[in-house]
Amino acid sequence: MTATERSARALTRRGLGISLVGLAGLAGVYLLAIGYTPIEARQGVAQKIFYLHVPAAWSALIAFALVGLSSAMYLWLHDPRLDRFAASSAEVGVAFSAIMLTTGPIWAKPIWGTWWTWDARLTLTLFLFFLFIGYLALRASLHDPAERARFSAVVGILGMLLVPFIHLSVYLFRTLHPQPVVLKPSAPSLPPEMLRTLLVSTVVFTVLYIGLVTLRYGLALAEDVRDEVMDAAG
Amino acid sequence: MLPAEPPHNAGYMVAAYIVAPVILVGYLLSLVRRVRRVLR
Repeated sequence: MTATERSARALTRRGLGISLVGLAGLAGVYLLAIGYTPIEARQGVAQKIFYLHVPAAWSALIAFALVGLSSAMYLWLHDPRLDRFAASSAEVGVAFSAIMLTTGPIWAKPIWGTWWTWDARLTLTLFLFFLFIGYLALRASLHDPAERARFSAVVGILGMLLVPFIHLSVYLFRTLHPQPVVLKPSAPSLPPEMLRTLLVSTVVFTVLYIGLVTLRYGLALAEDVRDEVMDAAG
Repeated sequence: MLPAEPPHNAGYMVAAYIVAPVILVGYLLSLVRRVRRVLR
């Protein structure tokens, strides 16, 4: 077994462990959300979807921003580790986006009376999701590692450019989507119990992001080793 | 005047609280399966 293969195995084991800790933390978030935080007077129990939807959205946007940054650094430094990290962060970002894009409509139905509306925040988020599905499809379609890394880096940087628009879309456009309650110039406008649960959930989603990206990075490393062996064998 | 009672919509929260771990655990299991296949 080569040193790289040993590293891949160690990374996947570590990533799996961190991810399992994150999933246990998610169970803790459920206990906090159901047993500790009060029921919002106007929205009812459905408001508690917020403790999943918002951290999933933040994690997805940070994941995609990191894809863009590591892609830009890859084009500059040509370090394959940056390309592996970008691919891993993109895939985990798509998983978190799937949570954001399913929990959002489940909240919207009882609160807005409709599952979906084509307003700026929702539409841009859906486009970002499709763009990174395209990013992953592009990666899967190219075999040459240098070509795959270069082409996908360009798409990754373009995807990152959408992230600030999505965050600012509630200010730039007329939208049904609620304004930010934490990430805004003034102090957070949430009761302390809700804010604490939201912050705990954000930490849990960050742990899940780190665990899943570590596991996915270990997989990418193992795939690179396998491809090198297969190429050498002809 | 009595404050209005919050709407009864717990089913939506239950649905969202099931969907999120299903996506996360499904993705985690798919990663583990792919790792096992590559590192076999």
